[in-house]
Amino acid sequence: MIKLQKLYSAVFILFLNSSIVFAQNNDTSPYILGNGVQVASLPLYLGGYVSLQYKNKENSKSYSLDDIAFLGYGHVNKFSYMAEFEFHNLYLKTSTNGTSKVQHNTFLHVERLYADYTFNENYMVRFGKYNSPVGFWNLTPINVLRDTTSNPYSSLIIYPKFTTGLLGQYVNYQHNTVQIDVIGQYNANLDDDTYNNYSVDEHFGLGVTYTKNDLNLKFNVGSFKEGPLHVKSKRRYYALVSLLYEKEKYKVMGEFGTQKSKESLITKYAGYIQTTYLFAKKHAAIVRLESYNSVELSQKDNIAIVGYTYRPLYPIACKVEYQLHSVHTENQVLFSFSMMF
Amino acid sequence: MRFFIITVLFLFYCNIVNAKEYSVVSSKNMPMMTINELRALYLKKIIFLKDVKVIPLNLSANSKIRRSFEKNILHMSENQLKRYWIKEHYLGKRPPIMLESQRAVQKFVHRVNGAIGYIENTQNIKMFKVLYQWKDEE
Repeated sequence: MIKLQKLYSAVFILFLNSSIVFAQNNDTSPYILGNGVQVASLPLYLGGYVSLQYKNKENSKSYSLDDIAFLGYGHVNKFSYMAEFEFHNLYLKTSTNGTSKVQHNTFLHVERLYADYTFNENYMVRFGKYNSPVGFWNLTPINVLRDTTSNPYSSLIIYPKFTTGLLGQYVNYQHNTVQIDVIGQYNANLDDDTYNNYSVDEHFGLGVTYTKNDLNLKFNVGSFKEGPLHVKSKRRYYALVSLLYEKEKYKVMGEFGTQKSKESLITKYAGYIQTTYLFAKKHAAIVRLESYNSVELSQKDNIAIVGYTYRPLYPIACKVEYQLHSVHTENQVLFSFSMMF
Repeated sequence: MRFFIITVLFLFYCNIVNAKEYSVVSSKNMPMMTINELRALYLKKIIFLKDVKVIPLNLSANSKIRRSFEKNILHMSENQLKRYWIKEHYLGKRPPIMLESQRAVQKFVHRVNGAIGYIENTQNIKMFKVLYQWKDEE
């Protein structure tokens, strides 16, 4: 693990060093915040994001430098690549019943590392570590691109957030858009096992997306197994239906899923519906209703979330939200500041 | 009554005069495409079309023609597109190349195989393949 960390750090330092040496603003395309910068005229664009968070619950508070991440990507002919390295909770201070604790997590995670090969307008294949294309929330799951600081439970307990393996994609844009994603992993996870919400070495899935004008509908099914391949462990099956309807002033998003093993239900259901209304150019109001029932965790909850987001510029977000839970001890208020560069 | 009819005809005439027409043009060997595919190309959802690497071209951000293209073809506002490209930056995609004038678009499309751009119909469009046309009423 230490060797891996050293390797990641070396790659990361090389990555940053190259950006310092070569990064320049091209006069014809000046730097725009949130759009990254090209390194000389190489097929390499750099960018990143940062997120700070404050959470206040009944008996606990936490302050965190939640994410600092660096992106590098580019394309050459039919190949393209994406590398994302991240410090997660580089600084985390938690206070529980008057007792404070400070943590510094200096491990540099590989959030995404993949290469794509595009055959033509219909077919693409990806290999490496990528965000599992399940639902809509998990496609752009970082704070600055989300409407709320928090993530819905359905995006955390139904499917593995990351997959390290192959992704095959078919898409047809001729009239309405149809997209089919095939997920395949039968190897070890890239990066440490605690970073993914499920430590999976085996994950297979299928997703079908249908888009007509502003309406997107998606259906995912899949199966995964935790732990190393040679160790016998419980196989989990999941299904998720998702909806995204987006207009200039408002957006409606919803996901509803379930997870089971061969023997029984693990998560009876988990879902949410969220509406975002842009009531002024820089101001958005958000309402999310969530519900989940996890047999495995022996937890069920109904949650109503009200949030407000101020974006002085779109790549900068100042958010506040209040969560009202049916499990009252979970009621909380969250503040965050996030920025993409 | 006569005054009313003349006024209506005059307004109708003004409307016709102000209706500007535009074309999306490419080199002659570019395959034809649906409007949904054209939209997907400009949003960089697809890069290749029938094995041709497509290079979409935009006019500058303050161009009225660009505003009209975004409204009528992409069906997106300037703010929606800003939001879209920041999300795409996270996904590893870049916005189309931007050129300053219609003349520059014509030159680029003429010289580079796979380039597509949009220009007013008052420009010389006969030397190009017209992929799509639309009308904008001011």
